[in-house]
Amino acid sequence: MNKIKEKARRILVDTPILPVLILYFIASVFVVPNFATVYNIKNLFLQVSDVLVVACGLTFVVLNGGIDFSVTATLTLGSIIGSYIMAMSPIKHMPGLSIPAAILAMLGVGLIIGLVNGFAVARLKMPSFIATTATNLCFSGLAVLLCMQLTGKSSIYGLPKAFIILGGSGKYFVVPIILSALCCLFCYLLLAKTKFGREVYAIGVNNVCAEVSGVNVKKVTVLIMVLSSIFAAIEGILLTARNEAGVSSLGDKMFTPIIACVIVGGTSTSGGFGGIRQTLYGALFIALINNTLNLLQVEWNWLMLVQGVLILLATLAGIAVKKSRKLNVIGGGA
Amino acid sequence: MSEPKVALKINGIEKSFFGIPVLHGINLSLNEGEVLGLVGENGAGKSTLMNVIGGVHLKDAGTIEVFGNPYEPVSPKSAMNEGIAFIHQELNLFSNLTVAENMFLENFPTGIGKVIDYKKINQKAQETITQYNLPVKPTTVVGTVSTGICQMIEIAKSQMGNARIMIFDEPTTSLSHSEKEKLFQTIRELQKKRISIIYISHILEDVFKLCDSIAVLRDGRIVYDDKAENITQEKLITHMVGREIGQLYPLSDKSVGDEVLLAANNIISEKVKNISIALHQSEILGMYGLIGSGRTEFVRTVYGLDSMSSGEIMVRGEKITNLSPETCIQHGIAFVTEDRHGAGLLLSKPVADNLSLVKLRNILKRFKVVDRKKETETVKDLISKLNIKVTDPKAQTADSLSGGNQQKIVFGKWIAVEPDIFILDEPTRGVDVGAKFEIYSIIMKMAEQGASILMISSEMEELMGICDRILVIKDGAISGELKKKDFSQEAVIKLAL
Repeated sequence: MNKIKEKARRILVDTPILPVLILYFIASVFVVPNFATVYNIKNLFLQVSDVLVVACGLTFVVLNGGIDFSVTATLTLGSIIGSYIMAMSPIKHMPGLSIPAAILAMLGVGLIIGLVNGFAVARLKMPSFIATTATNLCFSGLAVLLCMQLTGKSSIYGLPKAFIILGGSGKYFVVPIILSALCCLFCYLLLAKTKFGREVYAIGVNNVCAEVSGVNVKKVTVLIMVLSSIFAAIEGILLTARNEAGVSSLGDKMFTPIIACVIVGGTSTSGGFGGIRQTLYGALFIALINNTLNLLQVEWNWLMLVQGVLILLATLAGIAVKKSRKLNVIGGGA
Repeated sequence: MSEPKVALKINGIEKSFFGIPVLHGINLSLNEGEVLGLVGENGAGKSTLMNVIGGVHLKDAGTIEVFGNPYEPVSPKSAMNEGIAFIHQELNLFSNLTVAENMFLENFPTGIGKVIDYKKINQKAQETITQYNLPVKPTTVVGTVSTGICQMIEIAKSQMGNARIMIFDEPTTSLSHSEKEKLFQTIRELQKKRISIIYISHILEDVFKLCDSIAVLRDGRIVYDDKAENITQEKLITHMVGREIGQLYPLSDKSVGDEVLLAANNIISEKVKNISIALHQSEILGMYGLIGSGRTEFVRTVYGLDSMSSGEIMVRGEKITNLSPETCIQHGIAFVTEDRHGAGLLLSKPVADNLSLVKLRNILKRFKVVDRKKETETVKDLISKLNIKVTDPKAQTADSLSGGNQQKIVFGKWIAVEPDIFILDEPTRGVDVGAKFEIYSIIMKMAEQGASILMISSEMEELMGICDRILVIKDGAISGELKKKDFSQEAVIKLAL
């Protein structure tokens, strides 16, 4: 009996979103029209894959006590450069060459932005919210300018068919779902099983203690920023394929749902607590809410409002959990 | 002579947290103008009792009277209204504000439109500063003055609020020798003004020096309460730990080896002016110095935490290149920092995570995956080896343990990688008497097994108790070296001042 109680308490402290997610899902099956259809469930999972990859990368930064506003700029700039290579460059007629080149270029964009962020945060000791606000402005501006300069329009069309498979068109819908699940699994293993993952948590809780204990704080911080940008770039690849175009406004309204996945999932914004499992539940929950409200034909602005309220509630719940732990401490200390 | 007035009377105070009783019917009484020493091991319930009096925690049962009137504390404000003031070991001043602003923070005199009347507060603050003879101006920013002065400012502030009862909680932990003397003098002056004082401390010499009577708290009960002259220090310790302690320091017949394990040559940094040391195998080398002497800065520089302007670190004759905590660990150096909470532990993480933090690098499988099995073994092994009191190391967080057990965790995470050079900065600070002996034993055992130990401490007695040699640091340089046969408090102090 006590064991079950302990387990329930663990779930409530570690992943408070999980019971809510399950209840909401069950309720949706019965209440929301057209929810429990193959078509819609497929859609739901595609919606999850739209944010999960980038949210997983961002989780590392949030665990470290930081934030990365530049993820949306990263996926947008990657999208424009990749699309240019595939649809407009001299090698556009050779998809066997242009697709790998485009993917590499998009990952390269992620790597470069990640290194810039990492240098600013770890070496120059800039707060991550300032550094990444700056890089976000620079690189999203660059994406729009580049696109206008190249095409005179705000998007680039004409991507090769083989590339669009990555976006899950038609019968290939499982491709992006599997790819995002693999990315999520990779992040999970990296965070939960490796020395690097432990160091991320240690720095998030107490970076002085981590440094004294031999953690190379600067190196880990740079790696975290690079991971975040690389996974944003991977998300950029999936989204570009899904839109069948490079769009210079791709990331414009994406940051809220991305950070919502991380925070609503239960990763603490003050660092050190949470993880990829939490972000997965968060992504499922946010996608579920968007999906059901869509089916109920609720206006988009309401969606924003709901997401805002959810972030507030999740943060409050996090504070409550922290407080209850503190109280436990006083009791246990005596 | 008439009976002295009772300032604070506590009757049958009980308090439980989550069903675990912490205070079992505490009775205590404090006369007007009396200094009462409250001692007890960590976890005995001292902080809880003070928090009940201060209105931070609500009591479950019992009554409190202040000068004969019933007192029902519900918030820290109630304590303030009754004239009860707390001086904590962590100071409660805002380092970004000025002395005057801090003094009037709760009650700014305002003029038209709620604008603070700076002329008035600066003038009033100056009066208090003059009265207490503080080396500051009303407009000095608090962050720029020393801890000792800050404490004086707090005391002065509490007196402006007409505090009748003052509670000092470990007030001397971060004070230098002269600051401590000044604090004691101030406490005696307060006593002359008929202020009643509760003085909580681990340093028993201070308690005997200051207090009229002494109360011992153990496991949530008052086990001794009498005049100070009726008890000896040894008896007091027996009451605190509940058993006889035969000796204060472990005995050993180890001998110091010839090989130099750690040599720091001509270290110069911001606060360190050319220090060289040679640490031999099995040697416990003590380092004494007043606060601000540069001793902590020296070991931080040796360990690669602070940057060095010149000098070199040699381990077994080999120079460490790229000096950093990481390379030091690779060369077998461990560093137990002075600030356990700030730099020693991941407080909010489980005990197991703390114990394995340094060891991780040695228990990796392919792809740098941590070997969970080896990790669990390491943690189990350390807990039994060091006798850490924890039931579920994977669930209990470090901050749920007492100071002594926390310090054992810090030692444990280092012992896990079997280093042969230990740098210890105030290893027994905030640790109670019983646990202190255990920590000395751990240090002694490490030395017996061939490790070299460099130990900084502000407690001269413990350095003389376990060290083979003591270096005294003053103004960033070594002012003298004492061999075991020359150890005496006078000799050490003479070199330090």
